[in-house]
Formats: sequence, structure tokens, C-alpha cells
Amino acid sequence: MKKKLTLRKIGSVWLFVIPALIPLIVFWIYPILRSIYISFTDWDYMSPTYQFVFLDNFKALFKDQRFYDALWNTVVFTLGTLIPTIVLGLLLALLLQKSFKGSGLIKFILFSPWITPTVAVSIVWTWIYEPNNGIANAILKFFGLPGLQWIKSSQTAMLAVIIVTVWKSLGYAMIFYLSALEKVPKELYEASGMDGAKSWQRFRDVTIPCISPTTFFLMIITMVNSLQAYDQIQILTQGGPSGSTRTLLYMYYQLGFEEFNMGQATAVAIVLILITVLLSVVQFTGSKKWVHY
Amino acid sequence: MKIKTGLQKTGKVCLLFLFSIFTAFPFVWMVLSALKTKAEIMDVSKFFPAEFQWNNFYEVIFHSPLLKYVWNSLFVSAITLAIQIVTAAMIAYALVFMKFKGRKVLFAIIMGTYMLPTAATYIPSYIILADWNLLNTFTGLIISNCVSIFGIFLLRQAFMQVPMGVIEAARIDGASRWKILWQVVCPMTKSSFITFGLMNFITCYNSYMWPSLITDSDEKLLVSQGLRKFFIEGGAYGTEWPLVMAGSALIVLPLLILFAFTQKWFINGIGGDTGMKG
Repeated sequence: MKKKLTLRKIGSVWLFVIPALIPLIVFWIYPILRSIYISFTDWDYMSPTYQFVFLDNFKALFKDQRFYDALWNTVVFTLGTLIPTIVLGLLLALLLQKSFKGSGLIKFILFSPWITPTVAVSIVWTWIYEPNNGIANAILKFFGLPGLQWIKSSQTAMLAVIIVTVWKSLGYAMIFYLSALEKVPKELYEASGMDGAKSWQRFRDVTIPCISPTTFFLMIITMVNSLQAYDQIQILTQGGPSGSTRTLLYMYYQLGFEEFNMGQATAVAIVLILITVLLSVVQFTGSKKWVHY
Repeated sequence: MKIKTGLQKTGKVCLLFLFSIFTAFPFVWMVLSALKTKAEIMDVSKFFPAEFQWNNFYEVIFHSPLLKYVWNSLFVSAITLAIQIVTAAMIAYALVFMKFKGRKVLFAIIMGTYMLPTAATYIPSYIILADWNLLNTFTGLIISNCVSIFGIFLLRQAFMQVPMGVIEAARIDGASRWKILWQVVCPMTKSSFITFGLMNFITCYNSYMWPSLITDSDEKLLVSQGLRKFFIEGGAYGTEWPLVMAGSALIVLPLLILFAFTQKWFINGIGGDTGMKG
């Protein structure tokens, strides 16, 4: 009797777990393991046979200047989007902390880019960045500044892609900070107010530590998103001009789905996974020093 | 002191005003550009169109396949979302309310996949769909996307707020687990379900990279791919910017309107319930 009951219990657990677990295994876990396997081969997708080359793909990658450029671009892009998103997101949340007439509308506007399709808004930005007829250069000229080539020049293309990405994710960070600020216990402010603490000191000693879990969460999320950015790069620059906006992820796409060099492509994917894991571990260990739950 | 706070307030409002203009400007510019003639759009000194060219929208709606792509996206997103909600709710229920061996391991695995770059799975997933003859089909798109790890997190977080006693009481009354999930737990965590639904619907509707890899026939394009195709096609003869902008506006504006009505679910949802803590 008792055995029958436990069997039924295990059955119902499986029943609830399986509908999510099977797709999770088929489209997430298995592909990652399979990627590792493919990265040790010279498979080109078309031919049915392939050979084991073990670490040759990785060796070739580590000798390829393109890889180092892409790695560098990934670092620049990730930091270039992470820092402004967090700093400006917090600034906006501080400005909007006390609600006033029109603050709802401002929140609506600031958050709206996040929900719109990256492809559509990137197309709009392509038009804004147009060197001859675009509004971006018209505005620069209005202020007496020289126009830029924006996405047409390898000097400024990365900046242009970063601006679009920050524009899109700023509101998201702001919303997280708004709710974090709301949860800062009022007594803490009062306690520090009694000491006659200046507002800057209060911000540094009370607010920043209290919202540190949110900062940490946003750092991880923004980092993961930046490492995976594809849509805006594909529309704005296709990784160009001359590879100046080719991140690791974009390189993976080009190797895999343009050149059909599956071995090399999955090798890049493995490197990307390792970087994500490494950065997460670094952030998690580092967070013990400055994140206060 | 009073002057100082007054100044601070003005500064604050000015700063917010500047940020709002910067954020809203691309949308405004998109709509204005969509209403211009081809000559006007090339002349930067003309900020407003002399006459609104509604015809551009007419062109896009009736003489381009864009509406068809919108329908494809709505169709795929709705079905994907429905499956995602069921699978996520069930596994979240098991993770929170059922005790079984390997529960922690299971959660750790899910947590691990959450942070991994999705694109790293694309080559093998592509091969799987190719083997199953599901390339270039909506079925392939839907089944490869029928689990939302974000959704599992969100619902797990919400379910943990439901007191265990409520579940036990319902069990004693003889309710099945399936019934408890949908008739007891779901109503109690309604707001998380709504947030989940809106967020994932929009993510799916906006998705680009994966759909563009596995579908390429004209009738099967989702909205982002379709728009890009429309945009690139004009490229050979010089992009028809007013039409491209009208197409973009047609795709972006409904989302902005939807967002205007559902704003609170996003703001409370992502700010309040998600996140690890905080």
C-alpha cells in the first residue's frame, strides 16, 4: 500500500516536470553538449562525413587576429553598454523617486524602447545615423560640431551601436532601481538624517548599499544581454565596417550560418559560454564584498 | 534654502525632460518621416512634412506583405506563449510544492541555462529541426521555444509566496494537483501570470535571430524578418525611406499602445517580483 502511494507520488512529480524538462533537454542541454562535440570536428554542415580534429579549431581560433578583434569588440561593447545603463538608470530612478505631475508619462516614455522590436527601431536609427541626410548630423551641425560618419566608419560604428543599445535598455534598469529605492527602509534615512549627514553621504552610505542587490542583478543581466546582442548589430552594421562591430556572437553567426564552418563556429560558442561562466563566477565572488542582502 | 531647492527642482525637471526627448525622439522621427514625401525626407532642414502623406501607410498596408507578417508573428507568439505558460506553471509547481529527490539539482540546472547565451544552442537546435523536417515551419519555431526559463523563475518566485497550508488544505479536500495549480495557485499569483504573458508575448513577437535562421520562405516570415526584407529590398534602388518608416511605425505603434494600457504590469512585475532579490 505504502509502496503504491510513493509510486503514484513519483508519477505525479514526473507528470509535472516532464512537459518543461523534455524541451529543456532537447533544445538547451543537449545542444550545448553537442556544441562541445562539434567544436572538436571539422564538419562543414554540407558533407555527411567529418573528421575529429580535437583542439585544432581552438588552436586556429587563438591564432586568428579576427578572433582577438572580436574579443576586444565584445569587451568594449559590454562595458560600453553596462556602465551607462547602470549609472544612468540609477540617476533616472533617483530623479523619478518622488512622483510628481507627469512623472508617470516620463516613466512610460523612458521604458517604451525596451518593448519595441530591436529590428524596427534599429532601422529607424539607421536613418537617423545617415551621414548626409540623417538628423543626427543635422543636430551636431546645429551646435556647430562637425558631422560624423556614424555606422559608415569603423571609428564611430561601435559608438553608434552602443548608443542604440543603451537607449533601449535604460528604462529597464530604471524600473528595477525605482522599486529597489522604494524598499530602502525609511528609518535608515531618518537615522542618518539625525546625524546631520549630507545628502551625498547619505546616498553613499545608505542608498548604495541598500540597492546593491539590484545593481548586482542588473550587472549580470546587462552583461548576459550584451554578450548575446545580435539584432541591432545585424541591422545597423552587420559587424562592419571592416569588422569594427563584430563581437564574438556575431563572429559565431558569420562562421556558422554564412561560412558553414560549424567546427569553428561552435568553438567560438564554447569560448562565449566560458566567458559568460567566468564573468558570472567573478561577479558572484566579488559580490560578497559589496552586495548587502 | 528655498531658492536652492527650487533650483534643484528645475534642474531635475530639465534633466528628465532632456532624457525623455532623447528617448522619444526616434519614435517621433519615425512617424514624421513616414508622413513625408521622398523629396522631403532627403532634406534635413524640413523637420515637418508640408502635407501628411497618409498614402505611405496605405501603400504599406495594402501593397506590401507586412500585414501578413504581423499576423504570422501574432499567431506564433500566441501559441508559443500558451504552451510556455502551461509548461512553466507545472514545473514551477513541482519545484515549489512537491518534495522529490533531485529537486535542487533540477533547479540548479534551470538556473544555469538561464545565464547561458541562447545563441550557443542554435547550431545543434538547427540540426535537430532539420532532422525532424521542421525547418521553415511554424511548428519548428513553436516547439523549439516552448519552455521559458524566465517564466519558470518568475512563477517559482510567485508560488513561493503562497502558504503551504493552502495547498495542504486543498489536498485534504481531495483536489487533484492539476486542479490546485489552476484553481487555487494561479488565481493567487495572477499578477505574475499576467507579467509573464505580456513579457514573453512581446519577446516572441520581437524575436529575430532564431526565426531568421530557421524560416526563409516568404509566407513564413515573422514581423522583424519581414521588415528587414522590406528594408533591404528597397536598397537596390536607394531605400524608400518614407515607406520603410511607415512599415516600422506600423509595427512599433501597436506595441506602444499595448504598453500604454498594460504599463503597470510591466513596471510592478519586473521591478517587484523578478530578480533574485531586490
